[in-house]
Amino acid sequence: MNTHPVLQVENLDVRYGNFQAVRQVSFEVQPGEIFGLLGPNGAGKTSTLSAIEGLLIPSGGTIRVAGYDSRRQPLYARASMGVQLQSTSFQGELTISEIIRLYAGIHGVNLSKERLAKILDDIKLGDASGKRFGQLSGGQQQRVSLVIATIHNPTLLLMDEPTTGLDPQSRRQLWERIEAMRDNGHAILLTTHSMEEAESVCDRIAIIDHGQIITIDTPQAIIDDNRDRPEVIRASRRGRITLEDVFIGLTGAAIRS
Amino acid sequence: MSTTITAPAKTTPASTPAVTLPKPATVFKNLLRADLTTQWRNRRATFLVLLIPAVILISWKGLIPKFGSAFVLANCITVGLNAIGLMGYTNSIARDRDKGVFQRLRITPAPRWTIMVSRLTVQLLMIAIVTTILFIVGYQVDHIVMQPSGYALAFCVAVAGGAVYLSLGQVIVGLIHNAETVNVVTRLVYFIFIMVGMFGSLGMLGDAINKVSNWSPYGTVERILADALNNVWTSTTTMALLATIGYTFLFTIIGIRFFRWQSSK
Repeated sequence: MNTHPVLQVENLDVRYGNFQAVRQVSFEVQPGEIFGLLGPNGAGKTSTLSAIEGLLIPSGGTIRVAGYDSRRQPLYARASMGVQLQSTSFQGELTISEIIRLYAGIHGVNLSKERLAKILDDIKLGDASGKRFGQLSGGQQQRVSLVIATIHNPTLLLMDEPTTGLDPQSRRQLWERIEAMRDNGHAILLTTHSMEEAESVCDRIAIIDHGQIITIDTPQAIIDDNRDRPEVIRASRRGRITLEDVFIGLTGAAIRS
Repeated sequence: MSTTITAPAKTTPASTPAVTLPKPATVFKNLLRADLTTQWRNRRATFLVLLIPAVILISWKGLIPKFGSAFVLANCITVGLNAIGLMGYTNSIARDRDKGVFQRLRITPAPRWTIMVSRLTVQLLMIAIVTTILFIVGYQVDHIVMQPSGYALAFCVAVAGGAVYLSLGQVIVGLIHNAETVNVVTRLVYFIFIMVGMFGSLGMLGDAINKVSNWSPYGTVERILADALNNVWTSTTTMALLATIGYTFLFTIIGIRFFRWQSSK
């Protein structure tokens, strides 16, 4: 047992050739915390997440997952995290039962038939065990992806825009599952474009723009600290300052590619 | 740009359990089971890989008196190995890379070698199946009978020969990052190999092409297969085997060096 934060990112730099996508980004995520990484398109969210996931090699800085250095002990770091990618794709020829069994096996989790059936029942897919992933609806796919991401009970869960394309019911259900995981001590790092969701669900958020973190705090503290800024007041449309107003105020109203 | 405001993280007591890594053998077993299931569900594609050399073997029955059973059978096995390496393996890698299947696997604690070795193991199994079926078709339809030791040696040589085409496929999928382009290029290379290899080795394209064909990845594999089936081993066979190993080594280095786990889209 140790007492490290579940995720420590220190002075992270990510470069694509001459373009620096992430610049000196630092933050921590504690157990039992939902941490939101917000930013406009191209701000560096996905690059930061990809570096944490081990999908790209950062040009500088350190990342520790559950105390494991992601460059020196990549397998341990990856075994400590569960990841729900923005667009998940699994082997198209496999059924969802086979996919869940595969990823459980890769994580060293032995799934009995009964346990697999219970997992599928829990996500209301008990009758769909023989279906292929591509045959499921968007909400069903998200539920399967979340099961796979958490099948090994990871200490850290990374979610890249998990509610994109979901209907309100599926979105609500997903948040309930995520909050239940938080309550069980899991740390969750997510990216989202929904400021309302971030405001209501995240314990802390970081706003990233042009590869740099411009603020980290609780949603309410960020609103309170920025409510008097002229650019935030200009962005306000509802008579009260929301997280979205602060976000627009801090990152600008121009549409990013 | 605004100023940086940093607040301390929430101070929930942390308790991070130590992680136990799954054994590589366990990871490999699960990957292999999934890859075998995938291959089984693609039975139609597997059938097509087998169909072309089988049809050639049947239609070349009349050439056996002139060129010999071993030459005909070796050519057909080489065509089958070509199809497995270039069409089966390469396209499945390109397709799964394009769909993000590898991306998903890479964020698990699976060592990366297990992902590729599992794929290659399935293809080696395919090589064994195709070779065996062509032996049976040759025996049943063309009445080709070799010594048991010839069959055994040819079986082993087919695995070595198949490695050339798997590594050539790795080069293609390493250098080309778009699945559709990979599909087109593999078909083109497959067609060229068959045309130049088969007709070149028959001497129908002239002496120069015949020599090129004999020492191409097609010709060297065909040579060691034919000699293995005939149970003869000459210095030329050894040279062909060394060339085969050399091609495999070279293609593997290039294929791994330039391979990307993500597609270019």
